Amino acid sequence: MKTKLKSIWFDFIKFPKYMMLHPFDGFDEFKRYKKGKISVALIFISLYAFFRIFTYQNEAFLINERNPLMLNSLQEIFSVILLLGLFTVGNWSVTTLMEGKGNFKEIVMVTGYALFPLIIIGYPGVVLSNFLTLEEMAFYQLLMGIAYGLTAWMLFMGILNIHQYGLGKTIIAFILTVVAMAVMMFFGLLFFDLIQQFIEFIASIYEELNLRY
Amino acid sequence: MKLFMIFSMLITLPIQLSTVNYNYSYYGEVIHSAPGMNFATYFNGNTAGTNFGSPEDIVVYDDQIYMIDSSLNALIIINDEFKRESDHTTFPLTPEYIEKLSNEGVTDFSDLTLLSPYGVEVKESGIYIADSGNYRVVKLNHDYEVVDVFNEVEDATFDEISFEPRKITVDGSERMYVVARNVYEGIIELDSDGSFNRFTGVNPVSLNPLEIFQRSIMTEEQLAQLQLYLPTEYTNVVMSDKNFIYATSKPSEENAENIIQLINPKGVDVLKRNGYHPPMGDIHYIEGMNNYVIDGPSSLVDIAYTDHGIFTVLDQKRSRLFTYDSEGNLLYINGDEGAQSDKFTEGVALAYLGDDLLVLDRKSRTVIVYQLTEFGDKVNTAIMHHTLGEFEKAAELWEEVLVLNTNYEVAYNGIGKFYLREGEYKKAIEYFNLGHDRYYYSRAYKEYRNDIIKSNFGYIVGGIVLISGVLIGLKIRSTYKKGGSILYED
Repeated sequence: MKTKLKSIWFDFIKFPKYMMLHPFDGFDEFKRYKKGKISVALIFISLYAFFRIFTYQNEAFLINERNPLMLNSLQEIFSVILLLGLFTVGNWSVTTLMEGKGNFKEIVMVTGYALFPLIIIGYPGVVLSNFLTLEEMAFYQLLMGIAYGLTAWMLFMGILNIHQYGLGKTIIAFILTVVAMAVMMFFGLLFFDLIQQFIEFIASIYEELNLRY
Repeated sequence: MKLFMIFSMLITLPIQLSTVNYNYSYYGEVIHSAPGMNFATYFNGNTAGTNFGSPEDIVVYDDQIYMIDSSLNALIIINDEFKRESDHTTFPLTPEYIEKLSNEGVTDFSDLTLLSPYGVEVKESGIYIADSGNYRVVKLNHDYEVVDVFNEVEDATFDEISFEPRKITVDGSERMYVVARNVYEGIIELDSDGSFNRFTGVNPVSLNPLEIFQRSIMTEEQLAQLQLYLPTEYTNVVMSDKNFIYATSKPSEENAENIIQLINPKGVDVLKRNGYHPPMGDIHYIEGMNNYVIDGPSSLVDIAYTDHGIFTVLDQKRSRLFTYDSEGNLLYINGDEGAQSDKFTEGVALAYLGDDLLVLDRKSRTVIVYQLTEFGDKVNTAIMHHTLGEFEKAAELWEEVLVLNTNYEVAYNGIGKFYLREGEYKKAIEYFNLGHDRYYYSRAYKEYRNDIIKSNFGYIVGGIVLISGVLIGLKIRSTYKKGGSILYED
């Protein structure tokens, strides 16, 4: 039991923290010695999805502009999946062409691990925001700013390390990833529209035949 | 059975005919509201014992209703029982004015007549008529004799276009503020002797950096083809008793949020916009070209104020009246389009007669009188108590308002402010939460938190000491377990 607790502590807190603070050593261990786990990454992603719902509902009244009646948990979950899915697929397709050394699994894992600071700072931050006045909200915003900044930092360093890129090439890879994401969205919408029209067409033929016979 | 059907239809008839009153919630949703004002009576040419041709403007002064008519070219005075007092189409000159004219070498001293006048203003200093067809402003005394005529404005703007006044208002020191046709520089301020002072309430056109860049690389021909960027055009002005001008203007292309303005003597818009939404009439509207529905932002044509900073604007496009308080909270919306006698189709002017609101309909040549409902009256009285600082009375009234209209979020803030003053911070927090007032919520919460910390100070400090003691103790224990020592050793 104790060793299990210890290994959970190591997987979820200690190792991500080490990766955040020592990006080169950390991601080296992550890639070379396979210390990262896909299960941990997936749990981080689901915790992030839950974090969005949690923020929607429980962020302090003083800065929460959202209408609580408009909360849609499924929409939040799907938007997280869509965003991360687009990013990982986009990054994978770009880096494969750019001679990146990372495979798809590693990209998913890096993306998941990168959400670590957001989860570890975000949950207490949102709880804390309920005990602040309007003037003190700046602290909360600073905290969340740090969390997002660290997430961006981990994502950047992770992508840099697993593909064994230099600085400039990583930046180019990120820009191209965004382009790839936009292209995928475009094709997605296009296909959605076409399939909708196709289904409509078949449905109307079926209806016509049904009415006749 | 048939009879039963007919009867049941008859019973539902009032519901079918009545209009649904609405208001906007904090989140911008359209929610049901109790009506703040409803139809009291109406009067037109027949009932008042005179004739209305094409009435353009009404002003209430000293319980008399002054109405200007652009087709009969007449000034019609109606008393507060809505009966004709007098009509005036010709205005004799005063001896002083005759003397002034003869000094200037004029020999024609015949009575003046008007030509399609559009605006009127009545103050203690006299009656001012925007005599648009004759391109002049006529000043009368209270015996309807001409005191002065202003037809020349010495400004470069009027070298090219003629001075065609549409609406006029006058401040305490007899300065005239004129809205003229095709003038985009602002409201024309004329001194009491008619000389041009300045343009006030000027709305500068703001271009964003991209537009500035676009314009800098365009050729002259391209620039000429671009749509002209014109600043807001004012539609009406009303002078408040503190010499601030309530003004309405046409919405500009992308900004409809400053169509109501309160212009101070310096010429700056100081209207408070602390409500849930900026005062701009309807906040939701369809945009774009469509021939089947009314689209675009409200087009406000007149504004009227009553006591304690409460003012009402008239939306000509959708025939609605929006009442706001001095903080910019939307209090109630009423009035709707129709040909029945309690509705209006082309509202052109608005005036408060005591607490009653007069709406002038040009098309049906009728003035519709609205009176406050129980709900509206309570809201107005609560605001009065609030401005006078009587928060307890205000809170009581807000409670009653909430019984009449549970959706009324403004009322919760009123009650919350009372509890905040009383020191019942927990209750105040609850009410500010319901009323979505962040600023006061924060203030109440601060006090509430201080109270809790003060009363539990011992426990909090004790807890901190205990937790840190336990942590240090554990650390020491683990250090010794590992064979170390906490004592300083080399």
